[in-house]
Order: sequence, then structure tokens, then C-alpha cells
Amino acid sequence: MRKQPAISVAMGRAFPIRSKISEILITIILIILALAVILPLLLPFMFVFKTRLEYNYHPWSWPTEIRWINFVEAWRAIQIGQGLLNTFYVCLGAIVCTVPAAAMAGYIFARYRSKVTEVIFYFILAGYFVPVQMVLIPLYQLCGLLNITDTLPGLFLPMTAFGIPFWTIIYRSFFAGLPNELAEAARIDGAGHTNIFVRIMLPLAKPATVLATLLVFMGAWSDYLLSLIMINSAKNYTMQLRIAQFMNQYGVDHMPRYAAATIIAAAPTVILYIFGHRWIIQGTLAGALKG
Amino acid sequence: MVNKNAKAYSMIPEQFRIKKKRDWNALVFKAALLAPAILFLVVFMYYPIEETFRLSMTRSTGLGPTVFIGFQNYVRLFQSEEFLMGLKNVLLWAFWSVVIQIPFSFFIAFSLSVFKNRITKPLRVIYYLANVLPSAITAMLGRFVFAPRHGVIPSLANKFNWQWLARIDFLGNPDLAFWSIFTVATWAYCGFYIIYLMANIEQIPKDIQESAQLDGATPWQYARFIVLPMTSYALRIVSILCIVGSMKIFDLPWLMTSGGPGYATSTLGIVLYKNGFVNWQYGRAAAIGVVIFLLSLFFTIIQFSLQRKEGDVL
Repeated sequence: MRKQPAISVAMGRAFPIRSKISEILITIILIILALAVILPLLLPFMFVFKTRLEYNYHPWSWPTEIRWINFVEAWRAIQIGQGLLNTFYVCLGAIVCTVPAAAMAGYIFARYRSKVTEVIFYFILAGYFVPVQMVLIPLYQLCGLLNITDTLPGLFLPMTAFGIPFWTIIYRSFFAGLPNELAEAARIDGAGHTNIFVRIMLPLAKPATVLATLLVFMGAWSDYLLSLIMINSAKNYTMQLRIAQFMNQYGVDHMPRYAAATIIAAAPTVILYIFGHRWIIQGTLAGALKG
Repeated sequence: MVNKNAKAYSMIPEQFRIKKKRDWNALVFKAALLAPAILFLVVFMYYPIEETFRLSMTRSTGLGPTVFIGFQNYVRLFQSEEFLMGLKNVLLWAFWSVVIQIPFSFFIAFSLSVFKNRITKPLRVIYYLANVLPSAITAMLGRFVFAPRHGVIPSLANKFNWQWLARIDFLGNPDLAFWSIFTVATWAYCGFYIIYLMANIEQIPKDIQESAQLDGATPWQYARFIVLPMTSYALRIVSILCIVGSMKIFDLPWLMTSGGPGYATSTLGIVLYKNGFVNWQYGRAAAIGVVIFLLSLFFTIIQFSLQRKEGDVL
């Protein structure tokens, strides 16, 4: 029953291998699986507008009335406002510390290759394979010594150390791929090392910088383990800690409120993803294929 | 040649020789640009690593003196049920992740790239969404679905009057808890494998597809004899990433069941956290950290020993 290749090429198919029946079947399977991915994010909307009593009797009926009370209660219980601010602060700190340090180191490794820099590069590369779990205890003690436990810098400084190796690798391969002529021309015009780096190479590396900024942000945004051990007092809680605290304190018994909390917690990430999914996917792939 | 040059060079009178000068400018520049990265790594990574190894040989509680006790921490670890359960769970987790998540992701990646049409093209974005969500939120959604009595599954079961299903406690039953969390993890992690494998499958040159078509290949044959061998390197890389990730798993089981019931969903990360930050036994916790490190190192070395075969795409 397979079509002749000439026919399918004439029909403008990109992939002649597929037949109509298998294509329809596979499309249906893929749609069902995609629904399974997205359903847990949509289901809370079924419950969130109901009162607790209503939910207990008719959990699966359509909401009769739009009530915002659950959102208000969940918002109060999570106290997400302060958490959001703290998380933004941590993200900002992680970006400001990671990206320039990685860009600078990557530039040297790409453009000033020598035996010494190669050795240092491997020293930094090795850091990429160290799991954070391994050093939790000494990190905690170290931050105690530096007096930064239970502060937000105590969170993003270790994060930076664990982010630098990866982004140094990315910047290194990016700078190595840039043409040498521009730098040469600038050197002949009398530009020094610093000028060449800041005025010429850094602007050229903008794609890498955008990528690094976005993904470091996402990493700092989602972190849970480091926040859990470093932060003790409620005023410094990040968003993820607030969410975890809500889960443990209030539980699932009041389902509509829990659903509201889920929506509130997931919304920022989902919104960010809707607007930035192209860069996020591209960046992840670029990192994975190079790393 | 060198000797000849040196000889010629020595014949030049002293005052006319070009002095080999160190380029101090470049040196300072290099040092300045490398300094922040090195500083961060030494202070927040290499010093703690050294401390981990040192602590793992001591009895240390954070208060009072630390006593050197050699390998006793490790010996005790391998005698404690908690640690062994954590180790077992982590290895099982790695095994099932590779056996279930990777083939599943390969199937979706293959279907998405071979059967690309107007409907399936945007689906990739949806699949990856679950991967982007922070683990705390993934755990929250996991509880939302699996929680006893009020969760989505029990309440659906009640609606249809399936009492057998409504009675199942997905997170409280020691036999099921692992698999409930594993399901949530599959939901969350497959997105990355899918887009990574897809990127590799799409690198396969178009003329190979066309010649397969001319030879009358079915989609199954195309997948089995062309795509699978050509993406084998990518598949092995993804498997290693998956295994190394499994060694470190902490967030999901901790947030969904706290490692319980009993030790049914304890992982090495959870055992480390409990020993270090609940019981304040720094020495033991550091020893667990070393075990996690050695396991990841072992699999990373395997990754590096994987050679690209001829015909691999990326």
C-alpha cells in the first residue's frame, strides 16, 4: 500500500517514508501524550473556583461561579510576594557573578592558548562534573565562616561557582569560533588587550551572553536544594521554599486552595516559557550538544 | 635547524640582539580575566571538596572537637539499612530511567521528526514545558495527582465508583511510592531527552532518508536500521546523563514523600541531607557525599571512554 516515491515527491512531502495511515495514527498518539504532559497544569483550573464543600460533593462538575477567594487565601498562605523578590535577587546575583566571570575566562581560553591556560582550563572543566550534593556540608560550614549563611548571597555565590565551568566551556567554544581578522585589525590600529575584548569581542559574543543570562536565570529560579540548606529564616525564603513550605503545612486536604497555590506557583515559569521557549530550547540544545 | 639558528644568533654582537621581553601587559590581562572564575572555583568548590574528603574521615558534629577515625564512617554506612536502601533506590532509579525513559523519549523524538506536520510540529514545545518547571512545582503537581482521598486519581476513581482504585495510597504504600515518584519524574524529565534526540535525528542527511525510501523502507525499518545506529552515540550520552542525574536525585522524593514510607523512597541525597542537616553528623554525611561523587565519576569516565563510531551523526 506504500506510495511510490515519485508520487510523494510530487506531492511535496518532506519525508516520503511516512504513509498516510501511520501518520494519522502517530499524530493521534503524540497529541494524547502532549495532553498528558499539559493536563496536570490545566486540571487545577477545574477545582480552583469551588468552595471546599462544593469540591467534596462535586469535584468534577464545571465551576458554577468564579470565586477568587481561594487565590487570595493561597497567596496569603504562601506569602509569595516576598519569596518572589528574594528569588529575583538570587537570580540577579547569580547572573551578575556567573556571566562576566565565565565570559572573561572563556575568552582567555579561546584566544590566549598556552600550556598554562590549558591546565587552568582543565582545572575549571573538572568542576563541571562535581555534584553539588557532594560538598553540601563543607559549603554550609564555609558560609558559616564567611558569615553568609541564611543570607541571599550565601545562596548565589555557591551557585555561581557551580555554574561557571559550564558557561566557560560555552564561551570558550563561542570565542574560538569568531574570526580573527577583526581582532587583528584592531590590534594594528593600536587597540590594547582590554579594548579588543570589551569593544570588539564581547559585543560579538552577544548570542552566548543572552543564552547564559537566560539559562542562569532559570537555574537560579528553580533551585531548591541549596536554598533548603542555606536559608533558615522565613524573611529570606525563596519562592521554591515558600512553595515547599505551603505543601508541608497546608497539604492537599483543602483541594481548591491547593489548586490555587499550584497555579500561582507555576504561573511565572509557564509565562516565561510561553514567551521565551524558542531561546530556552535553543540554549539547552546548544549547551547539550557542545558540552 | 635550531642549532644552526642559535649559532647564527650568537654571532650577532650583544648590543644588537633583540631582547626577548615578556609581554607583561598580556600577562596581567590574562591573570585579571581568569581571576574571578578561579577564585570562585577555589573558594566554593575545590576547598569544599577537600573538606568533604577530610570530614568523611572524622567524627564531627559541628560542635565540639572533630576526631579522626579513618574509614569508620564508610564501614558504618555500608552496615546501615538507611544508606543501603538509598543506594539501592538510586541504582534502581538509574536502571529504570534508562530502560523506560530513554526508549520512550526516542519513540517520541523519532515520531516528532519523521512525522512532522502542522499538528505535531508545535508539540515539541509542550513536551519540553514539564522539564522547565522547578522541581518544587513538579512535586506539587505530583501530589496534586497522587494524594490520597483528595488527589486527582482518587477523586476520579470515586466519580466512576472504582473503589479498588480509590483505596490505593500511591504515596503511602511502600511498594508503590517509588513508582509514583518515578512516574512524575518521567513526566518531568523526558522533555529534555526528547528535544536532544530530536536535534540529533534531524541532523541525519536528507539523502539517506530518500535512499531508504527508494529501497522501500517502512518507518519501523527506517528507525531500526538507520536512525538507531546513527544516533547511537547520542543515545549513549543521554543514558549516561540520565544515570549521573539519578545518582543525585533529591528534590522530587524529598518533597513528595520525604523518603518514606520507611526508607522506600530514600535516595543518597536524602540520606545525606538527613544525616547532615537533621542529625548533624557531618562526618557521615560527608562520607555519603564522597560516595555520590565516586558514583558520578565512575559513570562520567564511562562516558568519556565511549568512542564515536563511524556513521554517528553528532
